[in-house]
Amino acid sequence: MSDAESGKRLENAIGLLHRLEDGLLALVLGLMILLAPLQIFLRNFFDAGITWGDPLLRVLVLWVGMLGALAATRGRRQISIDALSHVVGERARSGFGAVTSLFTAVVCAVVAYHSARFVASEIEYQTSAFAGVPAWTCEIVIPVAFGLIALRYALYSMGDLRKVLAGRPVEER
Amino acid sequence: MASALLLLVLALVGAPLFAAIAGSALLGFHSEKVDLQVVAIEIYRLAEMPVLLAIPLFTFAGYVLGESGAPARLVRLTDALLGWLRGGLAIVSLVACALFTAFTGASGVTIVALGALLYPALQQAHYRERFTLGLITTSGSLGLLFAPALPLILYGVVAQQMDLEQPVRIDDIFAAGLLPGLLMVSMLSGYSIWQSRGTRISGGPFSWREVAAAVREGAWEIPLPIVVLGGIYSGAFALSEAAAVTALYVLVVEVAIRREIPLRKLPGIMRESMVLVGAIMIILGVSLASTNYLIDTEVPVRLFEAIRAHIDSKLTFLVLLNLFLLALGMMLDIFSALVIVVPVILPIAIGYGIHPVHLGIIFLANMQIGYITPPVGMNLFIASYRFERPVLEVYRATVPFFVILLASVLIITYWPALSLTLVSAP
Repeated sequence: MSDAESGKRLENAIGLLHRLEDGLLALVLGLMILLAPLQIFLRNFFDAGITWGDPLLRVLVLWVGMLGALAATRGRRQISIDALSHVVGERARSGFGAVTSLFTAVVCAVVAYHSARFVASEIEYQTSAFAGVPAWTCEIVIPVAFGLIALRYALYSMGDLRKVLAGRPVEER
Repeated sequence: MASALLLLVLALVGAPLFAAIAGSALLGFHSEKVDLQVVAIEIYRLAEMPVLLAIPLFTFAGYVLGESGAPARLVRLTDALLGWLRGGLAIVSLVACALFTAFTGASGVTIVALGALLYPALQQAHYRERFTLGLITTSGSLGLLFAPALPLILYGVVAQQMDLEQPVRIDDIFAAGLLPGLLMVSMLSGYSIWQSRGTRISGGPFSWREVAAAVREGAWEIPLPIVVLGGIYSGAFALSEAAAVTALYVLVVEVAIRREIPLRKLPGIMRESMVLVGAIMIILGVSLASTNYLIDTEVPVRLFEAIRAHIDSKLTFLVLLNLFLLALGMMLDIFSALVIVVPVILPIAIGYGIHPVHLGIIFLANMQIGYITPPVGMNLFIASYRFERPVLEVYRATVPFFVILLASVLIITYWPALSLTLVSAP
């Protein structure tokens, strides 16, 4: 397989991952928008909601939050203090970008690792979240999201480093 | 200590805030020899707070409204009702922006959605260029003290995590924001009227026909603030219920009935709105861990004792608090400031006898000024970009508005009754 070919494949895989994330995010939010009013309707008019409805909604909040954070990472749109970028030159900005992104990648990798251990122990002890749903299926989003965020920041860090070395200005993404 | 300093420096040079906070929680728990799985367990608490459901639902509804024709209808209706006053269009801008921000959560959407309509209208009505620029830039964050604005909810969520003796109810925060919010709107309106003195700036005469037409045009959206605000303020709905109804209603009206938003644009709007929600939620999630560590190690208590040794009057403390929050507002956006700083200062403020609900209003009113404070106030940049004016010109244009808002913040800070009169059990 040539370099160009494998590059193409990687690009396709990344595109697929992005579409998967977007699709899942829309699905989770859509479910939330429908289920939340349905619960109110059932409670008020039939005096009975779906028993697993409320816990499911709360888990959906976690999922929307984690998937949203993942989406924010994709455009490097996490909330940060933007005090330097107006002051320093572009090359210095890439330098700071390389360091802070590396730091973010390491932190997220550590969180991902320990949340994966947490999920593993939940699988082992067969903890149930609600209505017989295994707890780990609700929690799995934490290690997956943090793992992907770590990966993305590692790539950003390498990209910034390359720009510092090449002396080229950082491009906005 | 050295590691805390390093984290602070990393945050200042642009590391995402959630990473800096997560880093501090990891280091803290590690030094206490606590298994780091605890961080995952803390983040999972995002799935254990029913009130959080309101955040994605209201944010999504706000983004949908912003993309639809609702802002134009809101401006037309407000204009029909208030446009005949002297300085009418300026007051229209203030009121419409405040209402819109209450629903969209002070995320910068207001300047983009409403500013684009009001800016040319104000210019056409011969308001001075600089006044117009300052007015719109300031209006972009006006209204975050009115329910159901996101920052009010978030303050309640953060305060509820702290096991206070005096529980902070979100309904109480909503009630407390009402009068201070009105104070800000009226002071800015007064300034607008004063600015239009001697000129002939006023809209056309009042016309019932135009009011009726504007009401007919906005018939689908008008029930929304009435039902949601009425429901929340009267206690008929829980917050998450109001959010659920709003999200579905807005979706049905703007997409299915009015068809102003084509179905194919919906996934993009969902994604955009959830980028904001995700960016806030991840900070909230890791902060649950770091706050837990803070409380375990009694940092706020020790900090309070240290401050107490130097400052013994409540008044001096409030002055310093105002200065601190203004500085904070220049650095941090309102959401991260809430999540990071409230857990530290709330116990201290309570120590000085400040009501936790009042502190919330002081905090948010100060942070609102942060939106228009140089060098990093978000609204300054959005306005500069949106209206193609140099940032320095936007700075200068907002100065008088800054002074007025500062005056209102001081009133809000030193007159607790303004915030607490409407609170059910102060």
